[in-house]
Amino acid sequence: MDEIKWGLIWPLLVLQAVLAIIGLISLAKAERTRGPKWLWVIILIFGNLLGSVAYFTIGRKES
Amino acid sequence: MRKVWTLYHKEMLEALRSYKLIWVPVVFMILGIMQPLTTYYMPEILKASGNVPPGMLEGYEMPGAAVVMAQTLGQYGTIGMLILVLGVMNSLAGERSGGTIEMLMVKPVAPAAIVSAKWAAQLTTLIVALGLGVAGAAYYTEQLMGPLSWGRLCAGAGLYGLWLLCAVSLTLLFSAWLRGPAAAFLGLGSAAAMSLAHSLLPSQLGWTPAALTAQSAAIITEGRGGTWGPACSAGVLIVVCLAAASLLIRRNKLPD
Repeated sequence: MDEIKWGLIWPLLVLQAVLAIIGLISLAKAERTRGPKWLWVIILIFGNLLGSVAYFTIGRKES
Repeated sequence: MRKVWTLYHKEMLEALRSYKLIWVPVVFMILGIMQPLTTYYMPEILKASGNVPPGMLEGYEMPGAAVVMAQTLGQYGTIGMLILVLGVMNSLAGERSGGTIEMLMVKPVAPAAIVSAKWAAQLTTLIVALGLGVAGAAYYTEQLMGPLSWGRLCAGAGLYGLWLLCAVSLTLLFSAWLRGPAAAFLGLGSAAAMSLAHSLLPSQLGWTPAALTAQSAAIITEGRGGTWGPACSAGVLIVVCLAAASLLIRRNKLPD
């Protein structure tokens, strides 16, 4: 465990980013959300895994 | 059968459009690769957080590859199950409250076809998510901890998937009866009650689906499978859930 293996860490960051980007795309297309949209933008960008999961499970309203 | 296929197609299209078929597997992959990574870097993480009593890190022993995989599946049993159940809670309840179930029922479609198409779509999401998640976790575990037996891993992951499918099927049944959040609550609650009962009386309830999680961990770490009882009772439970959900949908359709 001499140095940090970045080769194994960057896929994790990429997956997190993919999740946040999908969330933002879905948010941009959504007509209605639970709570204000700008708040979800902040949660998606800074909320990591839990923020994205929260948006996908409770943030969206079915039309 | 053709009708089930058509309905299944529609469900999968919906899962794609709502990004569910993408975000659930991505979350499973993140959970899967986080477990080996955090286990491997645990001493560093503790050091960075400060306040580590001296001598504590010397006692830290890296768990074996198989143990880490069993822990990863444990993650899917908590957060993964929550995500899957929240994803299925509105599948029938949403159609009922949105009024689309009536539109679907005026067509000559059996309730069983609707229910099994929904269930098959959930099963597809589960298989994709668990498959990708376990593959990612196994790759990381092999890189960081050491070699794994892939045969045992597949068997263990399959058994764990069957347990998750039980929770999904229970939630689908409750979703045919109650509103979405109540269905999710009852689905998770009944799964939790089953595992609690099993942990209190492991020898008497060794045949119940709740024994699948322990069986899965035993296969991965020790390679011994045990009996077919839990898998058979899980199959029966799933079939009963689907049949009961179809009956409830049929009864709700004809209020006389």
